[in-house]
Amino acid sequence: MAKNKVSFKLKSNLSELDALCQNLEKFGQSLGLSKKCIFEANLALDELFTNIISYGFDDKNEHTIKITISLQNDELVFNIEDDGIPFNPTKVETPDLECTIEECRIGGLGIHLAKNLMDAVCYQRCKDKNILTLKKNIKETHPQKKKVEG
Amino acid sequence: MEIIEESQSGINIYRLNGRLDSNTSQGFEKKIFQAIDDGSKSMIIDFKNLDYISSAGLRVILKATKALKREDGAIMLCDMQDYVKEVFEIAGFDSFLPIVGTMDDALNAF
Repeated sequence: MAKNKVSFKLKSNLSELDALCQNLEKFGQSLGLSKKCIFEANLALDELFTNIISYGFDDKNEHTIKITISLQNDELVFNIEDDGIPFNPTKVETPDLECTIEECRIGGLGIHLAKNLMDAVCYQRCKDKNILTLKKNIKETHPQKKKVEG
Repeated sequence: MEIIEESQSGINIYRLNGRLDSNTSQGFEKKIFQAIDDGSKSMIIDFKNLDYISSAGLRVILKATKALKREDGAIMLCDMQDYVKEVFEIAGFDSFLPIVGTMDDALNAF
């Protein structure tokens, strides 16, 4: 019987995006998740992981980012935990998407994608750690307006 | 990610294989902007074998499109897989980036 939970650690390096993808695909395939669901989860995690590496550490040391994924009923629950400076990616401004190519601001695009691909994105700061909890219903096939907390 | 470059009728064509993310987009940006610096005005990006794109990839494409526009040049994006196209749609980029169906559609645009 397939396990409903997996945990893995990534180094604070963009080259770890491949490991993120592989771990997620392996887990997703073992549970029979759709390719679309795996793609969307990968993208959301990628965006947040990239943001953490880009903005979450104020030193040159290597940090560890811990990711836990579990399936509870029809819901995938993702936890991303890092020991960086207090950084809440859900507070980043959502870009103005009605703009023309000249006006278009690119800031906040990653968070916008992550929020759109997940059903819930929740941030908390706990014992010097940033903890992001994301939820995705696996029966959905289209992105909808999402609840955001924190 | 692998980038296959070719030229057809003065148009720079980039065929992307694999994944365009924050790790691989830096190399892609360098290549495209080198071509723009060298005077390229017409580009096509072929997405047929691109399985994945993140905001970093969108950012490079947007930057390149703006840069080419400033030089009175143009870029066409063709043959996107469904999930990749969806990312452009969620970002709202499909309303102003020239996304077409096939390579022929892209070539005919020039």
